[in-house]
Amino acid sequence: MAGLTFLVKRWEPVLVVLILAAGAWSSTLSPYYLNVDQLFDSSRNFVIPGLLALGLVPVVLTGEIDLSLGSILAVGTILLAKLALLHVPLGVAIAALVATGALLGFLNGLLVASFGLPSLAVTLGTMGAYRGIAFIVGTEEGYTDFDPGYLWLGETALRGIVPVSLLLFALAVVLFAVGVHATVFGRRLFAIGGSLEASRFTGLRVTRIKIQTYVLSGVVSALAALVWIGQYGSARADNADGVILLVITAVVLGGVDINGARGTVLGVTFSVLLLGTLTNGMGLANIPGPTQTVVFGSLLVLSVLVSNVVRWRTA
Amino acid sequence: MDWAVERTGQPVTGNRFAERALRVRVGGVLVFLVLLSFAFGVASRRFLTVENARIIAFNAAILVIAACAEALVVITRNLDVSIGSIMGLAGYLAADLVARAPGLGYAIVLVPLLVGALLGVLNGSLVAYGRVPSIVATLGTLSVYRGVTFIYARGQEVTSTRLPHWMLRGADLMVLGVPSLVIVAVAVVALLTALLSTRPAFRQLYAVGSNPQAAYFYGLRTRRVVLLAYTLSGLLGGLAGFLYAARVGTVTVILARGWELSALAAVVIGGVSIQGGSGNLIGVAFGAIVLATIDNGLVLLGVPEFWRMFIQGAAIILAVGVDALIDRRIRRVLELRRAGRRV
Amino acid sequence: MDSARLDIRNISKRYGAVEALVDVSFSVAPGEIHALVGENGAGKSTLVKIITGLVPQDAGEILLDGARRTFHTPMDARSAGVTAVYQDPKLFPHLDVAENIFMGVYPTTATGAVDRRGMYLASAELLSRLDVDLWPRSLVAGLSVAELQFVEIARALATDLRLLILDEPTSSLTPTEAGKLFQIVRSLKEHGTSIVFISHRLEEVLELSDRITVLRDGRFIATRPRAELDQGEIVSAMVGRKLTSFFAAEVGGRPPGDVRLLVDRLTRVGAFYDVSFSLRAGEIVGMAGLVGAGRSEIAQTIFGVLKPTSGSVSINGSPVEIRDPMQMIDLGVAYLPEDRDTQGLVTEFSVASNISLPVVGKLSSGGFLRRDRERHLAERYARDFQIKTGDVQDLITSLSGGNRQKAVLAKWLTTNPSVLILDEPTHGIDVGAKIQVHEKIHELARSGIAVLLISSDLPEILGMSDRIIVVADGRVAAELPRAEATQERVLLAASAAHNGA
Repeated sequence: MAGLTFLVKRWEPVLVVLILAAGAWSSTLSPYYLNVDQLFDSSRNFVIPGLLALGLVPVVLTGEIDLSLGSILAVGTILLAKLALLHVPLGVAIAALVATGALLGFLNGLLVASFGLPSLAVTLGTMGAYRGIAFIVGTEEGYTDFDPGYLWLGETALRGIVPVSLLLFALAVVLFAVGVHATVFGRRLFAIGGSLEASRFTGLRVTRIKIQTYVLSGVVSALAALVWIGQYGSARADNADGVILLVITAVVLGGVDINGARGTVLGVTFSVLLLGTLTNGMGLANIPGPTQTVVFGSLLVLSVLVSNVVRWRTA
Repeated sequence: MDWAVERTGQPVTGNRFAERALRVRVGGVLVFLVLLSFAFGVASRRFLTVENARIIAFNAAILVIAACAEALVVITRNLDVSIGSIMGLAGYLAADLVARAPGLGYAIVLVPLLVGALLGVLNGSLVAYGRVPSIVATLGTLSVYRGVTFIYARGQEVTSTRLPHWMLRGADLMVLGVPSLVIVAVAVVALLTALLSTRPAFRQLYAVGSNPQAAYFYGLRTRRVVLLAYTLSGLLGGLAGFLYAARVGTVTVILARGWELSALAAVVIGGVSIQGGSGNLIGVAFGAIVLATIDNGLVLLGVPEFWRMFIQGAAIILAVGVDALIDRRIRRVLELRRAGRRV
Repeated sequence: MDSARLDIRNISKRYGAVEALVDVSFSVAPGEIHALVGENGAGKSTLVKIITGLVPQDAGEILLDGARRTFHTPMDARSAGVTAVYQDPKLFPHLDVAENIFMGVYPTTATGAVDRRGMYLASAELLSRLDVDLWPRSLVAGLSVAELQFVEIARALATDLRLLILDEPTSSLTPTEAGKLFQIVRSLKEHGTSIVFISHRLEEVLELSDRITVLRDGRFIATRPRAELDQGEIVSAMVGRKLTSFFAAEVGGRPPGDVRLLVDRLTRVGAFYDVSFSLRAGEIVGMAGLVGAGRSEIAQTIFGVLKPTSGSVSINGSPVEIRDPMQMIDLGVAYLPEDRDTQGLVTEFSVASNISLPVVGKLSSGGFLRRDRERHLAERYARDFQIKTGDVQDLITSLSGGNRQKAVLAKWLTTNPSVLILDEPTHGIDVGAKIQVHEKIHELARSGIAVLLISSDLPEILGMSDRIIVVADGRVAAELPRAEATQERVLLAASAAHNGA
């Protein structure tokens, strides 16, 4: 029982063990697995879901949710496609991208925090509405015509090995870890998630903080769009459709309580790595896409189920 | 847990006024529908015809059933985003089985019902007994069920030529000028409405959704109630999936993908509170009709299909917003009324 | 043949390392009003949960009218005639009164459907039996707290009621409503129902009950007939030692200093009207009134949580345009909320994080947390307030109710307020901690803080305040200096406007 208690108290080491196990399994599947090039290249798999997951963490910590991340990303890729067609300079394009993500996130935050609407229903709605905007502007067309500058972030690898996007992800991890665990802002997130009323009575500007988390997740999703077009070389309105499953899996598997107030950025980072390793391994094992989906869906459910069971046993 | 659960015990609506308000809510959907029809009727000559009404009803029928399925779960203060996958798996399985063994005849209908119910049982067990938050549980099963469909299908689709005639024709059948699907939908709504308002076991769905804590202290078997809701929801989802398969003829593995959003939109527009505890299926049916009307109108007006998603999403937000507004208005009136006797 | 209605024999229950009940035995006679008293944590709620079948006991048995019973759910207990009514009514707001009464025990027709007509008739009959004027079809959501309680009791009566357990039933009721409740209880007693009555209000306990059982730390202490006890003796039994005084009352007041808070014709439509008063440095002003009079609303409006409709508030002479709590905190106002666990503390946080929450920004270095400073601050306050905790990094939930209240108090002192508003600061904490909190309040007043003490505990307000403002129905009904304040005067003022409306 003591071992199980330790497990509950510290989820991160378990994730590390699982990552290593997944890696070990993958290496038995293919001689190419433990190749440095391969490993780095495959990391691209998880950069985008990873960024989205990081952006989602502050929102979930306050006890809310945001299902519209994938849709915001799609709006981003379509926006970039259109701007690319107009040969808009990269700097301006990025500014427009960030502004759009911030605006869409702000709308989410406004509806949830200022109007007090339930975030699950609201972001379910904006998930559809924003995706719809992407389709309205982008239609069914696939855009592949991009200035090289636009593609740089997503496709370049330093020395041909280390993807720039991976470095971006690493930077994001550090920024979020510090922001969530070492700043006043982060402490306030946990307070709001723990007790909304007590936070209000303590003078925390709850509405403002919640809106900020949504703006942040919107901006991160939009920036992920820049990585997307470089990584895949194309943009279409259905980009990232369904990615929310993977993102929520990453967050929940990473030990963040979906009800708020509990979790670590490190845990989410590890779970992103784990999911990436599994994707890589499953790809090498020629496990078809649908089966992979089944695996991820099961992981999502099992992670909560198992932690519940452990909590009951040790109570 | 703010985003899925309202703080328990706080008065939400009040007295006769609230009942009127609830009726206003359902009536509101009707009014909205009328206004919408008027607007579309003005914009397009082809809209306000009997034929078109039949088309709308036909299109709405299956969504009505799926929305009823979703509503059962939402009333208990939970969600089911796997309904589309249940429809897909049940529908595909049924189509595939009947294509291989046409000798099964009408009995095949039992398969999607059973499959749907089992999938619902799994959902319900995870939520009620596993205490997995319903959004997480059904998001997971959404993928698992769809993935299983893919694995089972091995990339094949069931072409309509392989389906029995009675199935394909039955979907297009007209009885006294009314599409058979509509009749089925009406029957489902009527049956469920009767069950929900007169059977003690079903009244508990409302109790559990209205105040889960009170239900626990009172001694209601909350877990069983939630399991019942999900099981019945799955069964209805299976039915909807089967009917949808019959209707499309060629059944692919992505059958009914994305239907959860439509079903939820219909539920929310139809006046069922996302916080649970209230709502009736007539409203839900109207919500589905509203969505079908919007679709239909957009097609007639030549608006690209892409607007559909946007409108569905906006409709959800609007409906939730209106509900919150009505709620707050009622609360304020109540506050003032109580104060009225003092001043 | 004099079998007891309820026989509790050697009941024990343990939650992990905590022994909630240890070998508790006592009995309740038929047709008896039996009070169950004890401090928070004495085991009363656990006992109720076991009796009603919500949780099973680890050891021991329960006999109902001489027969051994094991209830697996509260519905089981209900059908055997045992029902509990809790402090916060557990009803279903979206359903009507009749359905709430008959949930799960519906009268049914031959086909098994709900017999609505029969249900409404039966409900009307039950409600009239209780002399309660309610329409069975009204939605529960619109009812007042008292009405909710009566519906709960009607619910209890829906099945043959042999034992009714009332857990703190009057804490949200006005004296009139409480009186009506007592009437109902007495008439139930006359019909042979036994009542187990749990309350912190010892005056009520002494007024209503036939016998009184005291629990302490999960153990049975004594059962005595009412006539043999007075309040002091009950408290001694609850606490385990003789207490010489209830309140650290200070005789010989300090001269009050400058006016720190001036409230002028403050109004919030629907809650309170034309409230004016002042608060001086070093004063303890008590705000008395019935539950629902609007005192918390007044305080929360001053603090910025609620918006006023009209009127003004001035701090240290300068008028303030109230925007939000953060602004008021910066101006030196602190408000200790009524509900400690949901409004005062973040239960996921440690003691240190809770105490430092209001000033976490001030303690930081450029936005970065300084956990060392938080720790020192918390330790300092824990010592000062005598908060019993192993380590300030422990979870706040590891603290007892009394220590938690002290932590909330400490939390607000970190903001160095000049105006301190306390809303029911000793609600639901044990007597020992109560005294410590009172001493602290006096100390704070001595140091120059202006204190507004909101309390429903009359002896507390009378003992602590230099001045008492009585609020009735949202208006200031009276302002009494200490010398003129008596329990009767305060109660009179608190109820007068209410009855006159």
